[in-house]
Amino acid sequence: MSQPVSTAVDNLSAALKSNIIPNQEYLLQGSVVDTAVEVLLHRLRGLCDNVDSGPETFNDHEMCFSIVNVEGGASPQPLLLRVRRALDYPDMPWQLRYIGQQEGTGDKSRPTIVRNSIDIGTSSTVVDFLTEMGCRMDFEYIARGYMFRKGRMKITVTKIFKMGPGKSLDSVEPISQSYLVELSVLAPTGQDAIAEDMRIFAEQLRPLVVLEKVDYKRLPPMGP
Amino acid sequence: MGVTILQQFPMLENRTGPQTIDFLTKRVVALGAIQCGQFLVDCDTYMSTPSLGPQRTVHVMHNSEQPASVFSLLESSGKTIPLVADGLFDLLMLKMTPIYTKKQTKVESKGPRFELADFCIKLGSVTISQNFKGVLVEVEYRPCVVPATCWDLLREFLQGFLGSCVPSMPPQYLQPRMNEIYQPMDTIQQYLEHFSMYRKASGVLQFN
Repeated sequence: MSQPVSTAVDNLSAALKSNIIPNQEYLLQGSVVDTAVEVLLHRLRGLCDNVDSGPETFNDHEMCFSIVNVEGGASPQPLLLRVRRALDYPDMPWQLRYIGQQEGTGDKSRPTIVRNSIDIGTSSTVVDFLTEMGCRMDFEYIARGYMFRKGRMKITVTKIFKMGPGKSLDSVEPISQSYLVELSVLAPTGQDAIAEDMRIFAEQLRPLVVLEKVDYKRLPPMGP
Repeated sequence: MGVTILQQFPMLENRTGPQTIDFLTKRVVALGAIQCGQFLVDCDTYMSTPSLGPQRTVHVMHNSEQPASVFSLLESSGKTIPLVADGLFDLLMLKMTPIYTKKQTKVESKGPRFELADFCIKLGSVTISQNFKGVLVEVEYRPCVVPATCWDLLREFLQGFLGSCVPSMPPQYLQPRMNEIYQPMDTIQQYLEHFSMYRKASGVLQFN
């Protein structure tokens, strides 16, 4: 009865030790033009688990933050954080996400990108909290689309919109004439077998959409 | 979840921390309280690196009453911003080093937890880096969530077993929030207020 309570730090290190924290994201990305999205959605409806209920829709606002340790040598790596909230469910917790450096882009034996990821549910004060902490908001957008599931895999088909002037949500403008398609799994470290399942699933979506490892370092630099 | 009041119990010179907890345990048990396990509230403090500009402090706290949550309070240029998050927030703070580094002084309040009808009583020994600092008594009145409507009842109950150390006014932190709905973060804020006082004081706070 009077057993001492374990501290949060003890619980966390025990969880880390037994490797039960899903902190790795396996990711493949691609895109389809607007005119082709219906065909892809139809195919996904046939392949995925949520056949009866149909795909889940989402309407999210995402804000991307970074913080740089200026003492971190000649070319310090910024720490990237993302905040996401459901515009259609304003009472739901907000999501704070840490995304680490991606691995596996140049390695042909690895079928997907792997990156460190920590997903945290938070209260709505998170934006103020990060801003006051010294994080800078680099960009923000509205993401609307469909979410499918196939076992542990998550497939999203997302239309990205620019934030309206004065952060208004009524007059949002699409960023392009295409949809972003992502196939991802969040898993504990070392479960590389899932990457192979993802490769096979991505094969089944060809040629409607080509899901690949996107090497961000090779994309043209953004912003100033 | 009800309304919680945190009260410091003065230390007498001839009584040690464990003796004080024993003394209070006897009193609450005599009232009919039953011990239901232990509790723990802890606080780690992180400071921002000087290159980030004005000094910012993040207090990361846990309460065994809400085991799935991490409570953080950011102090920056006179403002305090609260954040409630999942347990993995602790992992994120580790990623924040060296931008935010942990100060070595961890503050804890832990001890027995009692239930007595609608009340929950916790007798906490406060330690800073394992050094005993004093005793904090927490009483929660669980059927009510608005402090204004149960403060008188709570004060009377506290005075009943702690005596004259209980002031007639509600804790300073609660005074502007008496008519708002009480949240777990309000308990954390009260703990932080007391922990900060213990941090500033040297040695054990004595009763004058």
